[in-house]
Amino acid sequence: MSNNENIRVTHYIEDNGIAHLQMVDTVGKNIFSHEFVEDFIHELDSIEAAEPRVLIIEGLDDVFSGGADKESLMDLANGHIVVRDLVISERLVNTRFPIISAMVGHAMGGGLVIGLCADIIIAARESRYGAVFMTMGFTPGMGTTTLLPSLVGPYIASEMMYTGKRFKGKELAEKGCGFNYILPKAEVLAKAKDVALQISERNPKSIGLLKYTLSAPKKKMLIDARLQEDMMHTISFGYPETKEIIQGFYAQT
Amino acid sequence: MTKAQVIEVIKKNIVDNLDDVEVDGIDVSKSMKDYGANSLDIIEVVSCSMRDLDIKIPRSELADIGTIDALADKFMENVEG
Repeated sequence: MSNNENIRVTHYIEDNGIAHLQMVDTVGKNIFSHEFVEDFIHELDSIEAAEPRVLIIEGLDDVFSGGADKESLMDLANGHIVVRDLVISERLVNTRFPIISAMVGHAMGGGLVIGLCADIIIAARESRYGAVFMTMGFTPGMGTTTLLPSLVGPYIASEMMYTGKRFKGKELAEKGCGFNYILPKAEVLAKAKDVALQISERNPKSIGLLKYTLSAPKKKMLIDARLQEDMMHTISFGYPETKEIIQGFYAQT
Repeated sequence: MTKAQVIEVIKKNIVDNLDDVEVDGIDVSKSMKDYGANSLDIIEVVSCSMRDLDIKIPRSELADIGTIDALADKFMENVEG
């Protein structure tokens, strides 16, 4: 963790091998600032070194994560390649233990991708989830184009990506998406802990083996997505209007 | 379009976007927050309503609006006929 009083990401591991990675940046609202990503990776390093049986990723009550920060987007719009966001999805799909995303609060853009990288995904009826990239004028990234269809199905994923609409958990539940659970906010974390407990009771060596097999398609999806998404980013971030839309978007919020 | 019609559109979108709210139970002198709306719910109700009414108002002009009635007034400034 960097030297700063504001703790952005933290973790703890229970005796039963259940690890908790908590995104607690109340100031930045779990936006992927340079410092946030650095802290996230640092905490994940510590968790991996401890070889837990399962990991629960948690966010704030109101926001799970808002995705990329303005600085990264402007860097991209100015023709610089920003790799730091991409590190998060790559690291998450390559863990040796299963991951449960407990998305109590809203998850947007790259924040939603954290959820998509997990093995089990739990959302809240009251919160909103959006692949908001297009609302800022550029094409989706971080693996969204392949990971989102695998969760919610190709047609709902298309609607989410083309419109950028922030869907309410309740709406996604009615659409019958592939989330494991879409529950009242207050029940999300308890459910994540219950699933984690069940996984933690299984033979960890076999769990690791199964994770290796089950995550193979996801690793491939991420590689496939990167090829297309990086190319689309080079083009869509190069449009002069994209820069204006990003500026306007952040001026309003 | 009358203000009553604009309010009907807003109410419909509130019901669609919030849990456990019925059209008849909405008091326009209140804020959407009083009915459990979070900030993203409000953005969604406003943008859905603007699409229904075929109007576009920059978000910066909507930031200080406190009640459903005041939102309807703002919409009325922009609807035709």
